Amino acid sequence: MTAAVEFQNVSRHFGPVKAVDGVDLTIAEGSFFAMLGPSGSGKTTCLRLISGFEKPTGGQIRIFGEDVSNTPPHLRNVNTVFQDYALFPHLNVRDNVAYGLMVKGVGRSQRHAKAEEMLALVKLDGYGDRKPAQLSGGQRQRVALARALVNQPRVLLLDEPLGALDLKLREAMQDELKALQHKLGLTFVFVTHDQHEALSMADSLAVFNEGKIAQIGTPRDIYDRPATRFVADFVGSSNVLPPDLTRALGGPAQWASLRPEATRLAATGPVSGTVTALRYLGSGTRVVIRAGGTEIAALVPAGQPVPTEGATTAIAFDPQALHLMGAI
Amino acid sequence: MTYPAILPAKGLADRLTGTFWRRPGLLLLLLIAPPLLWLGVVYLGSLAALLLQSFYSIDEFSGVVKEEFTLKTYAELFRAQNLDIIIRTVVMATAVTLACAVLAFPIAYYAARYAKGPWKAAFYLGVMLPLWSSYLVKVYAWKLILAKEGILGWAAEGTHTSWIIDGILSVPFLEGSSLSTSPFGTFLVFVYIWLPYMILPMQAALERVPNSMLEASADLGATQSQTFRTVILPLALPGVIAGSIFTFSLTLGDYIIPQIVGDSSRFIGLTVYQLQGTAGNTPLAAAFAVVPILIMLVYLSLAKRAGAFDAL
Repeated sequence: MTAAVEFQNVSRHFGPVKAVDGVDLTIAEGSFFAMLGPSGSGKTTCLRLISGFEKPTGGQIRIFGEDVSNTPPHLRNVNTVFQDYALFPHLNVRDNVAYGLMVKGVGRSQRHAKAEEMLALVKLDGYGDRKPAQLSGGQRQRVALARALVNQPRVLLLDEPLGALDLKLREAMQDELKALQHKLGLTFVFVTHDQHEALSMADSLAVFNEGKIAQIGTPRDIYDRPATRFVADFVGSSNVLPPDLTRALGGPAQWASLRPEATRLAATGPVSGTVTALRYLGSGTRVVIRAGGTEIAALVPAGQPVPTEGATTAIAFDPQALHLMGAI
Repeated sequence: MTYPAILPAKGLADRLTGTFWRRPGLLLLLLIAPPLLWLGVVYLGSLAALLLQSFYSIDEFSGVVKEEFTLKTYAELFRAQNLDIIIRTVVMATAVTLACAVLAFPIAYYAARYAKGPWKAAFYLGVMLPLWSSYLVKVYAWKLILAKEGILGWAAEGTHTSWIIDGILSVPFLEGSSLSTSPFGTFLVFVYIWLPYMILPMQAALERVPNSMLEASADLGATQSQTFRTVILPLALPGVIAGSIFTFSLTLGDYIIPQIVGDSSRFIGLTVYQLQGTAGNTPLAAAFAVVPILIMLVYLSLAKRAGAFDAL
């Protein structure tokens, strides 16, 4: 399998700020790849390094095997769906979508036909004559998608494309994006700070922290076996256990993660604490227990007894669920 | 101790705020009534009076204004000498506007896209500073700069580039003994004096074009010149039009610069000034004053048809 995008020890420093610092990355052709991280972690800069809006200060980037160090954005067959959509307000939807063809010199009737085809793909047929200002957020997002796809890019970059949509629309668009990626067989690179979005959509993902990749793998890998404390903290609602607590629970003296749904309440056990918070979630109740200096969350399924706040309870878990990890 | 659910109104400010809250239209009315009166009565009223005057005529023998409606005065505008004045003024205003637009764009673009912090302050200061000094002082300063023994001629002589000035002065319609007596000098001074009025609206328009829009254009394969033509220019066009309204109409109406710098050929503003003053021909002065208004109306409707305001 060819690598669609390859980073070799890529850095982008802005003076003393190391926005991206020594990143190695391989994105397989045809995959749905997510870059996940908090704001300022370097994920958007990585995306802009692929599109060419940032130049690396070190390392090499290859797109389908070709070094793009000296290739300006307009010559890269890579297109972007921008976070704010960046639709041209003076052009109607059809001309927005056809823009990429227009600048390539494709004739009017041909590019309009192609634009209509793309609009149909994103289920916006019949909207060609409207101006972007007359569309809802979700519709604008689809126009941005159609516009980015019209040039038949080898890689589609999406910069937090769902961030501005409300929850319901966001979920619908997640399914649609996934279906679209399947249908087109394109490589999608998706930047998000929403761990649920990354986990549910991506074939594989990279978790960014302070300009470096903290972990790279499939969603299951990252969720079940976070490599570091940071990943466990950021990706999951997992409990992060310090070494002494891990040992008290019967493991080695190492940092470990324990998912709330694998954590149970018991009458007796090696570790017990006080219930400090209860949160009803519908499908269950999240119970937070303070044991020593650490807060541990347990998910009590619906129908099982829930302790009251201030009660003392012990913690039990499936030993297989305890996952050991690095300290950083 | 519990606090009351409703706090007592203390003082005039509390009561006024309450009144305005209950009647939101009242504040708006109070705010816009004075400017509306000013614009409506003082400006539109005098404009109507002007229009009215232009339909009167002057008795050629007695020199008295006849208060009868006639188009005779307008017909006079088409006499060769008057038509000359109008054409000269429009050509000058067009040239000044184009030159201002070309000079202002890079400055406005830099200020809108790249200047930050102290550089932005320096930009505003640099653009506004000339407006602080008297218009007359600046025009006379330019007369000295452009005069035969002025600094420009002196510098040209020192660098052996006098042939450039001589070349300009030998172009038909731009002839003169020096730049300060050539229509080209008038043009230079107009461009200098009105440039800030082009830069500021342009900069405001360019500032509203988000960076991502330029990136989107490049991302979709556009070269920089394509991005300029298809994205930056259309989006900045309302600002360019606003600026050009300033430079164009200010040039159309100015009557001081052509008197001080240039070959003393007449422009609309100067003609209006002379007709209503020394000549006492108010109707013809009014008819001349209507010309710039008509030109602006035609210009704006053309701009609108060309889609200049689509991005507003």
